[in-house]
Amino acid sequence: MKKLRFGLLAAAVVAIVALVAVACGDDDGDGGGEGRGNTVQTIKDRGELKCGVKQTQPLFGFREADGTVVGFDIEFCKALAAAVLKDHTKVEYIDASDASTRFELLNEEEIDVLIRTTTITASRDRELGVDFAQTTFYTGQGFAVRTDSGIDSTSDMGEAIICVQTGTTTEQNVADHFTDIGLEYDPQGGLSQDVADAFFAGRCDVLTADASDLASRIAVRDDAADYKILPQIISKEPLAPGVRDYDSEWKDVVNWVVHGLIRAEEIGITKANVGQMAANPPNTEVARLLGVPFQGGEVAALGFDSVDPQFIQRAIAAVGNYGEIYDRTIGDNIPRACTLNDLVLNNSGCPDGQGGIQYALPYR
Amino acid sequence: MAVAAGGAPPPSSEVPLLYRRGVRRLLTQGIYVALTAVVIGYVYTSLDLREFGFGFLSEPAAFKVGNQWLTDVDGVTNSRITMYLVGVWSSLRAVLVAIALSTVIGVLIGVARLSSNWLVAQMAMLYVEIFRNTPLLVQVVLVYTILLIGAPLIENVVNVGDFFFISNRGMAMPWPVPDSGFWGTPDWFVGVWVAALLAIGFVAQRVRADRQGRERETGQPHYPNRWALGVFAVGAVISFFALGAPVSIDEPVIVGTHYIEGMVMEPEFTALVAGLTLYTSAFIAEIVRGGIQALPRGQTEAANAVGLSGYQRLTLVILPQALRQIIPSVTNQYLNINKNSSLAYAVLYDDLFRVANIVQNKAGHALEMFFVIIVTYMLISFAISVVMNFFNARVTAQRI
Amino acid sequence: MVDMPAQNPQRIVLPPHRERARRPRIVRLREWARRNLFNSRAGTFLTIITAAILALIIYGVVYFVFVDANWRVITENRWLLFAGGYPMDQEWRLWFSVMFVFLLIGLTYGTWASLGRRDHLFIVLASGFAILLLAHGGAAIWSTIWYLIAVGLLYAGYAITIRMPREAGPGRTLQQRSVAGLLIAALPIVLIVLLAFGGARPRELEGFVLNLVLAPVGIVGGLIIAIPLALGRASRMRAISWTCTTYIEVVRGAPLLGWLFVALFILDDVIGGELIVRAMVVLAVFTAAYMAEYIRGALQALPHGQSEAAHAVGLNQFQSMQLIVMPQALRISIPPMVGQAISIWKDTTLVTVILPLRELKGNADSAIAQFEFTPDRIEAYVFVAVVFWVVAFIMSRISQRVEGSLGIGER
Repeated sequence: MKKLRFGLLAAAVVAIVALVAVACGDDDGDGGGEGRGNTVQTIKDRGELKCGVKQTQPLFGFREADGTVVGFDIEFCKALAAAVLKDHTKVEYIDASDASTRFELLNEEEIDVLIRTTTITASRDRELGVDFAQTTFYTGQGFAVRTDSGIDSTSDMGEAIICVQTGTTTEQNVADHFTDIGLEYDPQGGLSQDVADAFFAGRCDVLTADASDLASRIAVRDDAADYKILPQIISKEPLAPGVRDYDSEWKDVVNWVVHGLIRAEEIGITKANVGQMAANPPNTEVARLLGVPFQGGEVAALGFDSVDPQFIQRAIAAVGNYGEIYDRTIGDNIPRACTLNDLVLNNSGCPDGQGGIQYALPYR
Repeated sequence: MAVAAGGAPPPSSEVPLLYRRGVRRLLTQGIYVALTAVVIGYVYTSLDLREFGFGFLSEPAAFKVGNQWLTDVDGVTNSRITMYLVGVWSSLRAVLVAIALSTVIGVLIGVARLSSNWLVAQMAMLYVEIFRNTPLLVQVVLVYTILLIGAPLIENVVNVGDFFFISNRGMAMPWPVPDSGFWGTPDWFVGVWVAALLAIGFVAQRVRADRQGRERETGQPHYPNRWALGVFAVGAVISFFALGAPVSIDEPVIVGTHYIEGMVMEPEFTALVAGLTLYTSAFIAEIVRGGIQALPRGQTEAANAVGLSGYQRLTLVILPQALRQIIPSVTNQYLNINKNSSLAYAVLYDDLFRVANIVQNKAGHALEMFFVIIVTYMLISFAISVVMNFFNARVTAQRI
Repeated sequence: MVDMPAQNPQRIVLPPHRERARRPRIVRLREWARRNLFNSRAGTFLTIITAAILALIIYGVVYFVFVDANWRVITENRWLLFAGGYPMDQEWRLWFSVMFVFLLIGLTYGTWASLGRRDHLFIVLASGFAILLLAHGGAAIWSTIWYLIAVGLLYAGYAITIRMPREAGPGRTLQQRSVAGLLIAALPIVLIVLLAFGGARPRELEGFVLNLVLAPVGIVGGLIIAIPLALGRASRMRAISWTCTTYIEVVRGAPLLGWLFVALFILDDVIGGELIVRAMVVLAVFTAAYMAEYIRGALQALPHGQSEAAHAVGLNQFQSMQLIVMPQALRISIPPMVGQAISIWKDTTLVTVILPLRELKGNADSAIAQFEFTPDRIEAYVFVAVVFWVVAFIMSRISQRVEGSLGIGER
């Protein structure tokens, strides 16, 4: 009996290998590019937006005791639902906490949009079938250490144990950086929550991640003073919503909702006054942004076939402008001095020449 | 078949074609094969095989793998398949240690379950009930969390005589390493000593067999085990110095916030192995108990009657017989350890499953990666089965 | 009084164990301790060492539970852990399912077994624990009431069925058939209650509820696939036995985590559908391979005479399989099947590791991501472990009882 089972096990292995070999031999398949998706229509038909978000990141995407998902990224999901479906509650939040499977969720159409502190990079754009919309949060990769560790820059980190999230740009950045400065280090990889916990427990000397990630995790701790974020930033990490390739209509909608929210802040439209502004727009730009006629004229239809001209208005009415979203979700913990560009907004209070980089494209 | 109805079966020529057994079988199998082919064909066509191939495995990895031991692969220039093999080595280490530990603990607990001492038996039962009925994932994660939070920081490391350290960065302990010795021999020379040890072990085994034979013949004690051990110890010491002390002990040192030298058992490894061991040993304990209970009571009574001590009764009479029933089930548990080692994914231990996932994340090719994973697990399972079947053959060689 | 001793010789002499029972309790206790704890010098030593270890463990556990631990991470997050994203206004559906399942447990117990003293104690303890888990937020009182009704239903079902005659007869058969039918229909009924007619969408099954749904789906689905698979493997037709064997060995060759990886990345192109459905398919397919092996073992263990006798009385192969062989084989394979069921119950935690499905352990991770509870990881995981343990223990308890009264494992 035993011998027979062996034979069968071996046969099974052989069968798999053979299957692989057969599959290898025949590569051409049906060929052709991906069919053009029409995610907006899919969302409308479904009556619900599937939004891939984090569920374990303080401030950006986490869960409250009653099961609701909250955070900075979540607000954009609501804004999109309001824009497309006219109801900001019609969102299904899908857990994309694991960085190493998030793009698959998008590609396998488990989610319509990925709003999960995801960095735009060229290689992701090219290889992973993902397209990025307007950045919602600009950050860079930083390092957190314990205040008493005596580490002031990466040049002090020779042989250090560095906790880094697996399957992210940060993992590659830190490897490149240490190759450049010629130091060795010992990586400790995993999910972002797990590596952060390992760092706070003292398992590693350094935690590297997006500075916003580090700040959000340190800020909410009781012993926040025991940790510091080094001023050194080794990369640019623009965090943006991701959508599937070959679906420009949906990408446009996501893109312009984000721009619209930023523009709303720039020109002073808020959740509170959006209704009044829409009823009585003070100028043509506000009218255009909110999709309402200016002084009895025509509604400026900007030609997004799949959504009506008021989609940005609904988004603002649902979640407020970019600044309101920011202040409501992360403002208490990560102060925002200059996210808006000084040249655009003369009254932003930023020192000269240090304008922020959020800047809405012209909506006309 | 038709015997019960009376009379011999009719000659096959009289049975209509469709009712002949051979024809029916052929037909059934034909339909079955056709259906299977349709299903496989459907699966095959629905898979996206346009970019199928294993070329991506030989591209540069561009990621690092932690928890390395005896390897030092930085991942910048190495290929993805190299990194995967590093992960396989990490898995193998954890699996082997977990197999060894869970066997020892499992047998102990299993025997304790049948102890005449009520308290010991109850404790063993408690152990089994707790660890068998909670998810392994939770056990592994819990052990890891306790190690991280519970063990001291490296700044407050527990230092045992300057050669053994415990902190939440792992346990550091002395470890033998190849040494140039008296005569400046290269590192590989340690292999010569290992070969010498094997030869001495063989000789010791012969001595033991010979003394056992004489013991059996004469009825006089010839101390086979003590002799064998003595021969081996003396041989080992002599060969060690004769070959110029090719091995030295490397003691761990703490520099700043990390260990150097020695061997470091990192908390990820410890958590995985501890979780696998606690979980599997509870199952092995039940198998051992079942194996022992299946023996006729007369065996225990007979052992008592010839005046064996409790320990002798267990090791000479009970366990050797119970092994016949135990080994096949325990083999299954070993295979489970192999498969369950994939839970390393949850404790930041870079085993083969995690490395495969990283590769998949960077390069796509989920289908190919899955084939690689399953073939690897099957090969390891196959190796475990081969070894265990060898043992099984030895145990069952003697008929009772 | 003087005469009394004279009556002594007429005292009835009982068998030794009854005789011992007549002695005072303290003497019996001392004797028991001498026999079971201090039977030799080594035994005494062992007892002392074990007692010391036990005391240490108890001290550690008590200290952790009552002093060290911050259980607010659990109490504040009860709903998150219990049902997570399940729409709160549909809570009654969850309670209905709980009551239904409890009633079924009572009926099963009453039909095939009887409650021992320990079972009562266990039900009470499990109830107390479950109230802690299930009662959430402001509606704690209502949840407690719902829960007590569920326990009441359990006892009511038990009380009704236990009074019915156990002797074989048409009444007994009807009772057994209807309870078995309810058991088989339980899963579809619960799923309909939870999901259909304005209930939640499949994706909204979360937390503990998700574990409670996934495990039965895996077990029942696995069994449905396993039976033809086992027969196929035992078949004398090469093509069939070869493919079944390949299926079983390949599925058993890779870890469940690997198959869930398939559900996420590969199965999407093959069967599509909701991810949670794919996860269920994978669980069923995975479990089936193991169950098929147990059934095959049982088939082999059956004496050959059984099928021969079936042929002798003129049953054809299908009838003999359906009426004679399978019922016996399934009965023999119940103990390992229960083991497999408990195993799949524990394995439902794995869906969080790979898939974006948040079961209990996953939502515990979310709970400790909240600002104030980041230091309370151990509490959260200990709680999860205890919850799983309780359910696994209930499963093994019920099966032991039922097996015992069915006479399985006895020869």
